[in-house]
Amino acid sequence: MDDLSVLDEINRLLDDRDDATVNTSMRLPVALRDAAALAVERLGAASSTTTMAAAALRDALETIVMETALRLHYEAHPDAEPSLAEVALALAAQDGSPLAEQPDAIRAAAEAVLARHPDADADDVLLWAEAQLAVTT
Amino acid sequence: MRTVVLDNEAVQALTRVAHPKHRVVVAHLAGAASRRRRGRITETVVPTSVRVEAGWDRSQPGAAALNRFRVRDHVLDGPTADVAASVVAVGAVTSVADAHVGATVRAVASGDIVVLSSDPRDMAAVCSPTPVTIVAI
Repeated sequence: MDDLSVLDEINRLLDDRDDATVNTSMRLPVALRDAAALAVERLGAASSTTTMAAAALRDALETIVMETALRLHYEAHPDAEPSLAEVALALAAQDGSPLAEQPDAIRAAAEAVLARHPDADADDVLLWAEAQLAVTT
Repeated sequence: MRTVVLDNEAVQALTRVAHPKHRVVVAHLAGAASRRRRGRITETVVPTSVRVEAGWDRSQPGAAALNRFRVRDHVLDGPTADVAASVVAVGAVTSVADAHVGATVRAVASGDIVVLSSDPRDMAAVCSPTPVTIVAI
């Protein structure tokens, strides 16, 4: 099964609204289970530890699917891959940040951040850009 | 949680790799994935009427790549149609798809709503009074 087929099957399973449950053989560290139980019982973190674990697993899987879908899209269409600065600019616009009106500042920040932190993400760029503007104004 | 709602041109840009705004819309999806990696959940939603207008048929083989991005449908069911009709009735728009965007932003549970659109003025009209961030693409 190639990555595309795996992705499609994971998507199908995530979209399946069948609420049937299964007792899984998945093994959890006892301390983690106990911490989750405390968070549910004493902090109201979720309606149950099962709900909490299922939601966390779903969130993680959806993130993996999105990242994999993007990676495969970029492999098929290299020109479609936005730069880090373009992603940061998109997030600035979504955030309603004044930085959205300063693409040059974001591009410069992306360049500076990547030179020091090659694994930086778009939020690192926005933080850097905001800091640079704060010290220059 | 943030909800990003796609309008017609955002969908068309996403659907077609050669579209001049393809990278821009992909950057928004990449930003959502990046935020998810940081634990900030962002979902992307498309009103089904917008899909109709943009010609996005999920069952077609050509839509397979787009289907992998986990863009959730917001369905035009009976209650949603009532809300959309009320948007049309106040004269905000005459387009079913635009009115459905207005109904969608009223329905999503997220307190942080972003609309990606090539027509910010119409989107502002259909979304009012729901607070949204409209990002022009």
